[in-house]
Amino acid sequence: MIRYLGGRLVTMAWTLVAISIIVFVIIQLPPGDYLTSYIAELQAQGETVSSDKIAFLREEYGLDRPLWAQYLVWAGGLLQGDLGYSFEYNQPVADIVGERMPMTILLNAATIVFVYLVSFPIGIYSATHQYSWADHGLSFLGFLGLATPNFLLALILLYLANVWFGTSIGGLMAPEFIDEPWSLAKIGSVLSHLWVPVLVIGTAGTAGMIRRLRANLLDELNRQYVVTARAKGVPERRLLLKYPLRMALNPFVADLGTLLPQIVSGSVIISAVMSLPTTGPMLLASLRSQDMYLAGSFLMFLAVLTVVGMFVSDVLLALLDPRIRLGKSTPR
Amino acid sequence: MREGTGARSSRRPGSRPVAVALSLCLALAAPAGAGPVETSGLAAAVAAGSLPPVAERLPSLPRVMPIQSACPADQLGGTLRMLGGSAKDTRTLPVFGYARLVGYDTDYNIVPDIAAAVDVTEGRVFEFHLRPGMRWSDGAPFTSEDFRYFWEDMAKNPAIAKFGVPVELLVDGEEPQVSFPGPYEVRYEWSRPNPNFLASLAAATPLEIFRPAHYLKQFHERYQDPETLEETVEKEGQRNWVALHFNKDRGQRNDNPDLPTVQPWKLATEPPAERLIFERNPYFHRVDQEGRQLPYIDQVSLTIANPDLIPAKVANGEADLQAAYLAFPNYPFLKRGEARSDYTVRRWRSGRGSHIALFPNLNATDPVWRGLLQTADFRRALSLAINRDDIDKAIFYGLAEPAANTILPGSRLFDPALRTRWADYKPDAANALLDGLGLERGANGLRRLPDGREMRIVVETAGESSEQSDVLELVREDWRKIGIDLLTREAQREIFRNRVKAGSTLMSVWSGLDNGLPTPATDPRELAPATAEQLQWPGYGMWVETGGTGGEAPGDIAALAGVRELIALRQAWEETLDEAERTAIWKKMLAINADEVFTIGVVTEVDQVVVVSNRLNNVPARGVYNYDPGAYFGIYNPDGFYFDCAAVAVAGNPS
Repeated sequence: MIRYLGGRLVTMAWTLVAISIIVFVIIQLPPGDYLTSYIAELQAQGETVSSDKIAFLREEYGLDRPLWAQYLVWAGGLLQGDLGYSFEYNQPVADIVGERMPMTILLNAATIVFVYLVSFPIGIYSATHQYSWADHGLSFLGFLGLATPNFLLALILLYLANVWFGTSIGGLMAPEFIDEPWSLAKIGSVLSHLWVPVLVIGTAGTAGMIRRLRANLLDELNRQYVVTARAKGVPERRLLLKYPLRMALNPFVADLGTLLPQIVSGSVIISAVMSLPTTGPMLLASLRSQDMYLAGSFLMFLAVLTVVGMFVSDVLLALLDPRIRLGKSTPR
Repeated sequence: MREGTGARSSRRPGSRPVAVALSLCLALAAPAGAGPVETSGLAAAVAAGSLPPVAERLPSLPRVMPIQSACPADQLGGTLRMLGGSAKDTRTLPVFGYARLVGYDTDYNIVPDIAAAVDVTEGRVFEFHLRPGMRWSDGAPFTSEDFRYFWEDMAKNPAIAKFGVPVELLVDGEEPQVSFPGPYEVRYEWSRPNPNFLASLAAATPLEIFRPAHYLKQFHERYQDPETLEETVEKEGQRNWVALHFNKDRGQRNDNPDLPTVQPWKLATEPPAERLIFERNPYFHRVDQEGRQLPYIDQVSLTIANPDLIPAKVANGEADLQAAYLAFPNYPFLKRGEARSDYTVRRWRSGRGSHIALFPNLNATDPVWRGLLQTADFRRALSLAINRDDIDKAIFYGLAEPAANTILPGSRLFDPALRTRWADYKPDAANALLDGLGLERGANGLRRLPDGREMRIVVETAGESSEQSDVLELVREDWRKIGIDLLTREAQREIFRNRVKAGSTLMSVWSGLDNGLPTPATDPRELAPATAEQLQWPGYGMWVETGGTGGEAPGDIAALAGVRELIALRQAWEETLDEAERTAIWKKMLAINADEVFTIGVVTEVDQVVVVSNRLNNVPARGVYNYDPGAYFGIYNPDGFYFDCAAVAVAGNPS
């Protein structure tokens, strides 16, 4: 086991190095750099920027150096825990991202909880009542949620929330509370804003989750051990929760790998549409303006989370289901 | 160019600024008779002793604005809510605040603002008289030392100004002689006139010739102990002291709350934030007629939202004053929200020469197209074929003005005949012009280029405005009738600009003249090749900009006679100070542009939608919304806007 873990860690390190190179190259792929977008923006406002000043800024930002040198500066910084410097915000990346992290985690954690809370009971119910009207109806609702374009749903709900409850449009709280210290009123404002994005992002996730749980559970429900247990008189509810459900959880644990990065970056589009103060719109904006250290560090951060998440889910899987073998004898 | 005479009498180099302020402000600050009135929002700080009383905060000769508020002084204040599209919009506040050394008044004359007076001799010697006792927003005196710091320690310091002094300060490469005769006198002197000097100081993005020396010195090699400086550089994660200085000093970007300013409101929140607060500058140099210090409004809040949501938020009453991110198509929607959210939608005139214009690229690389695009008759035919009335009705509710790309009524250089020159809908005349050029129609009705290709013009857009695409769709139908196909291609703005510069595009679409309301003293650079950014002749523009070392010289062919003449005319404009001569040059240049149709204007006078809360007063009912000159709201002095008195008390509360 320990040897297996060690091997995994080494692979993880190499994977991250490869990802960092790819990330850097991809960010640099579009023509121009941060300054060209910055200057184009200034010009759109009617400002004139002389080529002298452009050259000066390019040197000031270190954009005159060759690509590999820029990469080494960035990667070297990453190793020392320095995420680099954002041109756009004129601040270290860590400070900017850090500020938005709590709200991001709150939103996405709330969404994940919502998805689990809704899809678990529905999944179990529709598996145990296969082909009933309720099964069809709930599945239909789930698919409806999956099929509706998220941004459309978001806009409709924003409008309704505004007209019915007077909730301010966009954001995660009324503007007046933004710099205020936490208070009951502020928490209330957050909650009154939070439900829209949670619902919108959540509906898309529930359908998939319901179907997976239902399919897995159905697989297990007809197994011999279930029949045996039932024959021996184990109460139905206890039987269901203790054996087949536990087996059916397999894919959820495997999902953990993607769950961690989702908590940080999930729902980028919705956050952008609803202008939520999460990290998503920031990532989007940094990619558009080619604020490369911000975008790069962001993507790297997500990559690290994914790799770590995969690692954790592998370990958990091994613990949960001894049938999964570790090591080289059986290819996975 | 002079305002009052107090500046002269107060020139006492040896005296302490505080004493000067005290002795003079009582006599001069309040022409209405009473002394300066303490601002209610600051009274507590004054009482606590953390802020000096208003008499000591104002310069001995404050700028008295001809504005009034019906409210008593103790009821002025409140928070002005605005919306922004990104944290970078902090830079709009120095534009709106519009405190400049000299600035435009609403008739577009340049008048002293921060400077008490400016003496101009022969257009080449500029002597600024500062306001004695004036202070930066942190209370430090504002003196000629701040000008000296900029000139000697920034503009002339090769580490900071790697490319020399700003181009606006050069006359044919010659630097000015700068001297500082006294603490409140600054003198710029050239051997030849610098006609754009004052205009560049009054611009929306002004030429900065003074910086807060007392603040910036702590980041400057010359004034700071090397070890301390090194520590600061390290702590701020900068490459060296130059980068540190540069980052601390971005006054126009306005992203450093510690940077002292002379604007009416100063940034109080550390960006990035979702809601940026700008607090009043307690040392602002303007007062109203009753001696009350401006701005009337205590605070401006800029809430950052997705630009697409901004119209909805405005309709919901979440802004007290908003024009940015509101487009004309939002008009009906915003109008519907008026009663519900207690605001009024106003239509301000756009200051642009043309709302949408087509730019044939005279520097296109395709040789056949290039020859055609350089032919005036071809451009005229394209212009004549556009049914501008239809476009106006279909897209702008008939509220715009179909016209060529020229200046607007309101400028004294305006000539109504130029608006319709080659801009009436005459498809037959257009066809005749094209026939005259020998462009025969093929079997499918499309004309053929001389080399046999079908005529398809690809119009490139920056893809940011759906209006542009809609207009192009209609132009396409019109051009089909004269046998030319129009295709559109959207690119990202940077790519779009680069393609135009490289000559890869045949035609592009953008808004027309940025400054539709020029005076004879305005540099006519938009009418002649001047910079590489010009969409109709980027190559010639670059040629002029680089003094003939780069770009492309307008060749010695008849078709380009107009271009060469425009370059010569602009040169002549720069060399004269005579207003009559300048007027003549302007008129000539406008006539050439109209006759040669270097740009094809489609519609003009598409109003800017401005939403103003019903509680907000002093905002003009109808103004001109223009970046430069005008600084958007800046020219109308937002420091004089105020909220209804009774409402002031609740203005800051959550709604």
